[in-house]
Amino acid sequence: MRSVPAAVLLAGAGAAGLLASRPVSAGAIALVLLAVCLRGTRGRRLYLYGALFPPAGVFLLSPLLSLEGADVLWSGPVLPVLGPLDVTSEELHTAALSSVRFAAVALAFAAYALLLDHDELVAAVGFARRSALAVALATRLVPTLERDAAGLAEAVRGRGVAVAGVRGHARLLSPLVAGSLERASSLAEAMEARGFGRPGATRAPRPPWRARDRAAVVLAPLLVLAGALWL
Amino acid sequence: MALARLDRLTFSYPSVEAPALEAVSLELREGQVVALLGPSGSGKSTLLRALAGLVPHFHGGRFGGSVEVAGLDTRRVRPAALAGVVASVFQDPEDQVVMTRVANEVAFGPENLGVVPAEIPARVEEALAAVGVAHLAGRRTTELSGGELQRVSLAAALACRPRLLLLDEPTSQLDPGGADAFLRCVERLGAAVVLSEQRVGRALAIADRVLFVEGGRLLLDAPVAEARRWLAAERPSFLGLSTVASMDNDPSGALVTIDEAWFSYGRIPALAGASLELLPGELVVLEGPNGSGKSTLAKLAAGLLEPEAGSVSRAGRAGYLSQDPGRYLACERVLDEVALAVGGDGGRARAALESVGLGWAAERHPRDLSSGERERLGLAAVLVAEPDVLILDEPTRGMDPDRKAALAARLLAYAARGRAVLVATHDRDFPAHRRVALGERRELLAA
Repeated sequence: MRSVPAAVLLAGAGAAGLLASRPVSAGAIALVLLAVCLRGTRGRRLYLYGALFPPAGVFLLSPLLSLEGADVLWSGPVLPVLGPLDVTSEELHTAALSSVRFAAVALAFAAYALLLDHDELVAAVGFARRSALAVALATRLVPTLERDAAGLAEAVRGRGVAVAGVRGHARLLSPLVAGSLERASSLAEAMEARGFGRPGATRAPRPPWRARDRAAVVLAPLLVLAGALWL
Repeated sequence: MALARLDRLTFSYPSVEAPALEAVSLELREGQVVALLGPSGSGKSTLLRALAGLVPHFHGGRFGGSVEVAGLDTRRVRPAALAGVVASVFQDPEDQVVMTRVANEVAFGPENLGVVPAEIPARVEEALAAVGVAHLAGRRTTELSGGELQRVSLAAALACRPRLLLLDEPTSQLDPGGADAFLRCVERLGAAVVLSEQRVGRALAIADRVLFVEGGRLLLDAPVAEARRWLAAERPSFLGLSTVASMDNDPSGALVTIDEAWFSYGRIPALAGASLELLPGELVVLEGPNGSGKSTLAKLAAGLLEPEAGSVSRAGRAGYLSQDPGRYLACERVLDEVALAVGGDGGRARAALESVGLGWAAERHPRDLSSGERERLGLAAVLVAEPDVLILDEPTRGMDPDRKAALAARLLAYAARGRAVLVATHDRDFPAHRRVALGERRELLAA
């Protein structure tokens, strides 16, 4: 499938997951998107962590912090500021729905980042091509950052220094940011040298859409409608 | 008529007092292949950037004299406007890749130049075929090795059909075979080429003319034969190093023994039954083509990876200096960077900095140093802990002959103190007591 219809379909699936009012429906959409993400090979782990851990955190913490419902399943201590720590079935339902909605949207973005041809998306943007290219480059920065982080950790371990725990990894953040800025500067220089920004730029021809590409574009709004009305 | 003309070009980077280039005058003619030689930090890259118009437009700084390319004054036109005439391939291919797919990366330049859309695919195909990587057209650029990326970067430059091609150490990540093939492509282009290269022998083999820059000044501008005589008399290190080192002590008891080690990255095999011994007092060079598993074997020896099968035993501590160490600096101060490996011991860190000639930089930020200084800082950060086994991965990449000789002397002296040193490198000239090679099948071929 071409990248533009695939992006539209992913956006539709993410929106349907967000609009679904039943945890099972939103969960099913999230599972389908997870299966799609697993087709990606390189750099998959970072995106999956990013897409799954925050929703898991929402599911674990929100029942403890919210005050909703009367069907108490567990009663904990009363904490200052937070109040009583208890879990009700209504809170669990709300937490499950919020977390799978969150996961569906995050997995749709992960699939976009992992599987789509961002060049094709940039080429498809008829206006604001510079902004589209900036978004595509920023998306590609994630695997580059992951590689740089691994290289930096390896360089430090090579000196006999263990990189462990939150503090050990946090120490790598500042040099990673500095390294990214250096890369960005070099890339900007290379782009300028290659004529980026000249007036009269053209586009290499892209293959035409097939039937399934058109079907995906039709399916996407139907998914959103289904999410809003029935799921 | 000259394709490019520099007239008394003097340039200083912002907030740097000393000029990077000083009163450089020269002319480049159509179709000429020019080898640009000189020590690291001598101004070669700045000269290339001046020809591309990136100096002063992108970098700022103080600019005197003039540079004209194809009749255009580079002070008056932006680098993007010169892109149809000049194309550049920079040192680190990872820092110049814009697009996700190889074919799109090669098409990026022609698209910016406004080439007729129907003509672009043919240009892409032709450029990829010219550098022997037509099979990579559909691949993601993030999946390519450094060597493959360098060829794709050259293809991207060729697709613009430049009259002047500027190459800044374009073979630094290629094995000898790959570098030869790359330079043969360059020789056949027909465009004027300025090739900055630390593999001097290869550059001289394809060049018509040689420029030698030192301290920002152009010391030599001569045909190849005359340049060879000048180099032999004035800068003999640029014509080759001794490759054999003699060992003073009798080695006994291996410090590292790798026995029939297997390793793979997911489904991609990296090593299939490789064995290696490192003895005290010896410097061993590990050679092999791109992708043969040199880095993997080096990491196994350092204990950074564990073999899937086979065994690795180590007597004593290992220190590992990764490829491109200047990119992987972890601290905000040079002294802290070195002290990291010795629990913050400032005294030992200062001594290690002195030993690599960086004592003056202790309070500086590591990223304020030049690339060569960063490399020495990386070495000091590993040497400070005095590991029994020192492992270096491609330490001579982009290094000039004098600095390479200094590094070799330092490593041989380190080995002479009863330590073992392993250097994974494409550099066939690097002195060693013993050389071993990894082959295509990722097994050790010879010892």
